[in-house]
Amino acid sequence: MRIGQVIGKTVLSVQDPACEGGRWLVVNPLDASQLNGCCEKTPSLSAQASLIVYDNIGAGEGDIIGFSEGGEATAPFPHPIPIDALCIAIFDQIHYTAFSSN
Amino acid sequence: MIIARIVGNAIAAHCHRSLSGKTLLLCQQLGDGDVSVGAPFVAIDLFGAGLHERVLVSTDGLGARHLVEDDSSPIRMFVQGIVDEPVEAKQLITSH
Repeated sequence: MRIGQVIGKTVLSVQDPACEGGRWLVVNPLDASQLNGCCEKTPSLSAQASLIVYDNIGAGEGDIIGFSEGGEATAPFPHPIPIDALCIAIFDQIHYTAFSSN
Repeated sequence: MIIARIVGNAIAAHCHRSLSGKTLLLCQQLGDGDVSVGAPFVAIDLFGAGLHERVLVSTDGLGARHLVEDDSSPIRMFVQGIVDEPVEAKQLITSH
């Protein structure tokens, strides 16, 4: 599960009927340096490629979400669904402590 | 499977039911010289790995679904074991 910030959403006029009932969020994956305090203060954009994440648990813009990718993104659905990234968590707190070996 | 270091944790009240009550740990892939690189990701942990410990993380969804006993769980990454010593390898190339 990767961590990303919801920076927008997109609306499809025509889509596969299996995807009804969810929303398409534009997500910017976060880097290590942006994680601390990202749930309280909106972090900057990272250099990682943004992607579209299917969401049916109601993540809004500015939320920090955890999204699952690959075949596992379709696991919760009873019917086949053509998605490869699914929002599965909306984070309230993230604590990142870099390891320094000295 | 990859070797990673635990670098923190995450708390999500609003999540898929198979995640609720589970420990969500922040992991970063381990590269050469025991240095963790790349963007951290979140893995489910049922073994109680501590902060800054080296762990073996599996990305097998089927194993994750067995672990949380929920066939509709979207989890993919979970801590499979805790690594004791630093990895002795000629070179450890990470995907970053």
